[in-house]
Amino acid sequence: MTTKTDPPAGAAAPPAEPNSRRDFLMKAGLGAGVVALVGQAGASLRSLVPNVSYDAPTTVKLGAPTDFPDGMKFLPDERLFVFREGKTFHAISAVCTHLGCTVRAEALSKVEEANVEGKPLRLTHRFQCPCHGSKYSGDGTNETGPAPKPLAWYQLSVAADDGQLVVDLAQEVGHDFRLTVA
Amino acid sequence: MSAKTEPPASSSAPGVHPKPFWSFRPRSDREAGDAVVSNFLLHWFPAKTYKPSLDWSYSFWLGTASAALFFLLVLSGLPLLLLYVPSVERAYGSVKDIEFVVTFGSWIRAVHRIAAHLMVAAVFLHLVRVFLTGAYKNGTGRGQRREWNWVLGVVMIVLTLFLSFTGYLLPWDQLAYWAVTVGTNIASSVPFVGPQMRELLIGGRTIDQATLIRFYVLHVIFLPAGLGALLAYHMWRIRKDGGLAKADRWTPTQEKTEASPAKSKTYSLLGVARGQAPAIRAVTLEARDTTVNSVNDLVRRISIVVLGTFAVVSILACFIPSPLEEPANPMITPNPAKAPWYFLWLQEIVTDTTLKIGSFTINGAFLGGVILPTLLLGLLTVWPWLDRSPAGAAGVWFHASRKRQNLVFLLVVLLVLAFTIVGTFLRGPYWNFYWPWEAWPELPTRI
Repeated sequence: MTTKTDPPAGAAAPPAEPNSRRDFLMKAGLGAGVVALVGQAGASLRSLVPNVSYDAPTTVKLGAPTDFPDGMKFLPDERLFVFREGKTFHAISAVCTHLGCTVRAEALSKVEEANVEGKPLRLTHRFQCPCHGSKYSGDGTNETGPAPKPLAWYQLSVAADDGQLVVDLAQEVGHDFRLTVA
Repeated sequence: MSAKTEPPASSSAPGVHPKPFWSFRPRSDREAGDAVVSNFLLHWFPAKTYKPSLDWSYSFWLGTASAALFFLLVLSGLPLLLLYVPSVERAYGSVKDIEFVVTFGSWIRAVHRIAAHLMVAAVFLHLVRVFLTGAYKNGTGRGQRREWNWVLGVVMIVLTLFLSFTGYLLPWDQLAYWAVTVGTNIASSVPFVGPQMRELLIGGRTIDQATLIRFYVLHVIFLPAGLGALLAYHMWRIRKDGGLAKADRWTPTQEKTEASPAKSKTYSLLGVARGQAPAIRAVTLEARDTTVNSVNDLVRRISIVVLGTFAVVSILACFIPSPLEEPANPMITPNPAKAPWYFLWLQEIVTDTTLKIGSFTINGAFLGGVILPTLLLGLLTVWPWLDRSPAGAAGVWFHASRKRQNLVFLLVVLLVLAFTIVGTFLRGPYWNFYWPWEAWPELPTRI
């Protein structure tokens, strides 16, 4: 559909001269607007990146070594299994390496003696993940299921002030780590 | 004012606008008028509708049903907005209050939840329908850009899933907590940038208040606003692409017939047309009796679908209670920990896709949770450009020229459904496989 009233193109407003003052001011205004928008968007996004972490500390006192039974104790707050074999201790993370669910320990019907990274280790449990079914052996090695790597082992130490067991959840150690408490 | 009836060379088929956007600086009366005609806020709704677009059995009105569900979700979300408290200490309690204390609270929550579930289903079926009818294809009309409306649709289905995801973690129960854990760990499995992405998503390194408020704001502001804007554009594009693809074959004969002269309300309201009571004499290329007036015919059917959808959801909400699990407990993962049904195919895939090549391991979280869905979405997005079938295949169910791609598409759909069914009915504690008639072993719920 068309009407006769169509004026020839360009009749209403002649095209702006490329270098006219009006053209310059329009571009400057547009540019300032874009800069302002980008700056404000950037500032808004940056404000969402936390500067201070209120996360729980990674070094945690777990209690006196004598509080731990021989065998395994699960600490839900730290999502940590602490194992004791007489005077030696080691700690294995309960966080599945696949997608971060908390694995569950299952006591073995028969305690196994194994040699892990050149050191003897008594295996009392194995671990299974409820989310996607990964299975780990008693030293945390991933056996079946989607878990891509073994459960983490964390550094244990004895607190200098009160002799409590201390775990450093930021410090992974090898499977031959043992803490011996005199 | 008599009119010469030869259209200018740039004009397009009726109802089809060649420009994707309108001019803010009109250089003529005509462009000023076009700015209004092309403005989707003003012209969301067509004046006339091609008869075949109204068929029940062509589109099943799944898009309309999806839009109705979205509308219902916004409506039922409003009272919930006033009752829910987005804080980790009080979120669970406030949802429990909505469920057990607030008058009609459980019904409102059930409407919201059931509408959300049905919307995922309706949007998915809408996508399947559009694919199988080749409705993303440009037909015979000029200036059509249906492929871009398909791309919009793919973005909208992703937004719908994000809305569901951010919604079901708001109660801050066990389902919520472990869903965020798994979901954000999938994001974190992306090499190099993953951990930073997770930190930005949850506002720290552990899932806490910062996480809840982020997902809450996404759920009630950003995602619905985005989906609403895209929905409006989606509708506008249907109109500008000449209606539903099925109507293409009904479009016009190239014979011009004189349409009755009419006063142009648009032009006179705008005051852009000079003179008093401008009347436009126009010709039409439409064959006679191919269209009906949108008011009543289209409005009536839309009302039936929308009210029907509302009725179904309202009645279902009386009978299907919304579950609320135990309060979020970061120490204990439920066994089994299952996502809602529409994510179970993904949960099944991330379980099965950890690859070991020699000593090198690719986490299933990355392969099944990131790469595979991205590939699927990417393929969906570009499919209109890969589809080489003729224009005549647009808007036809199972057109012979699209046999092979329809089969492949259906196969993928069936696979997704199969994985969903396995995840829903055949997975038990520790994500072990159980037949439906096998009893799950008794396991301690706490360690």
